[in-house]
Amino acid sequence: MAQLRQIAFYGKGGIGKSTTSQNTLAAMAHYFDKNILIVGCDPKADSTRLILHEKAQSTILQLAAEMGTVEDLELEDAMKPGAGIFAPGTPGGWINCTESGGPEPGVGCAGRGVITAINFLEEEGAYEEEGLDFVSYDVLGDVVCGGFAMPIREGKAQEIYIVMSGEMMAMYAANNISKGILKYANTGGVRLAGLVCNARMTDREYDLAINLAHDLGTQMIHFVPRNNIVQHAELRRMTVVEYSPKSDQALEYKELARKIIANDMKIIPTPLEMDDLEDLLMKFGLEEEADEENIGKSAEA
Amino acid sequence: MFILGFHFPADMGVKVPDEKVIEKLDKSGVDFNSVKEVKLFMESREGQKQEISYTNKNTFMFKALVHYVKTAETDYVIYTNRYQIAELSKRLDANDDETMALCKKFDSMAMFRIKAA
Repeated sequence: MAQLRQIAFYGKGGIGKSTTSQNTLAAMAHYFDKNILIVGCDPKADSTRLILHEKAQSTILQLAAEMGTVEDLELEDAMKPGAGIFAPGTPGGWINCTESGGPEPGVGCAGRGVITAINFLEEEGAYEEEGLDFVSYDVLGDVVCGGFAMPIREGKAQEIYIVMSGEMMAMYAANNISKGILKYANTGGVRLAGLVCNARMTDREYDLAINLAHDLGTQMIHFVPRNNIVQHAELRRMTVVEYSPKSDQALEYKELARKIIANDMKIIPTPLEMDDLEDLLMKFGLEEEADEENIGKSAEA
Repeated sequence: MFILGFHFPADMGVKVPDEKVIEKLDKSGVDFNSVKEVKLFMESREGQKQEISYTNKNTFMFKALVHYVKTAETDYVIYTNRYQIAELSKRLDANDDETMALCKKFDSMAMFRIKAA
């Protein structure tokens, strides 16, 4: 039996992390027969909807609240098999889905749901399912909160893929996540496995992404172009891989899936200082070099 | 590390020498002489279409494109691959103006399809 690989997709909120991760995992299951457990670590609970064809799965925190405590919860209540081609018994690999959930907005600690969920899944044997090849964590944010760093802090996720784009805040978040990985690399064994550029189709985006990757000491494993078919598939609560498996975009995800399966580049990142990050943005035209005497002056001045 | 779809072991780092990529192409089993012309179909984000004929046989670009035509499962050109082809070609075919013009097109956000003529 092949060794279980625990991977995670991190990235700035709104970058398309859940879409990218679900399409990529769908490709790993459908084209390469991999069996996968998704652990959604975002309070939005949208890490599994395209695999399940549902609006949002009931989360472990929701279910625990309904039952009274997490100890009253059974694995089959919290873990659902994928729908359609991702269900067990269908050709190709299968995908099981869980969502950690989180508190109401403005109340409590969102990271707590992640910790509770992972502990619950481990104790209930979710990771010991026969034939399981990958556990994938889909994690919100840029690890400013320790709770969201839990999958890397505790050494659960061994290889991290950062979903980013050529926009400044996405790159800032990617650098921040790399700092988080660096912090726990020696204690938990976590490694950065690559950047995935979920393209906004901005000028010189490839150059920017690959240069950031190299400065961090890693690879840009794939550049995913923007394509409206992703939104069309999402309207049907499906991945592109299932909605249109021979489409150009499905081939992009298939290639990313192939590379993740074969990837052996797992490094301790070398995050950039803020000045270096700004220099990179300037070099590729995202920021204009400001004349010192104009800083703070309005356009009319 | 992955370049043009080829896997290079992690211990080679992120800056794989160009000659190692050429070596992979040469050992791929593709008969580069079997193709005389590569046709590219470019479509911009705004929907403008252009057909490009490429015949410069002595370039890295030609070799990489023929390899893609012969090994890819469809005529759609994966974005990462074509950016990487352009990146290498700019170093290896720098003296060929026509190839540099094609590299510039490859650097865009347009979508490309490819076939052997």
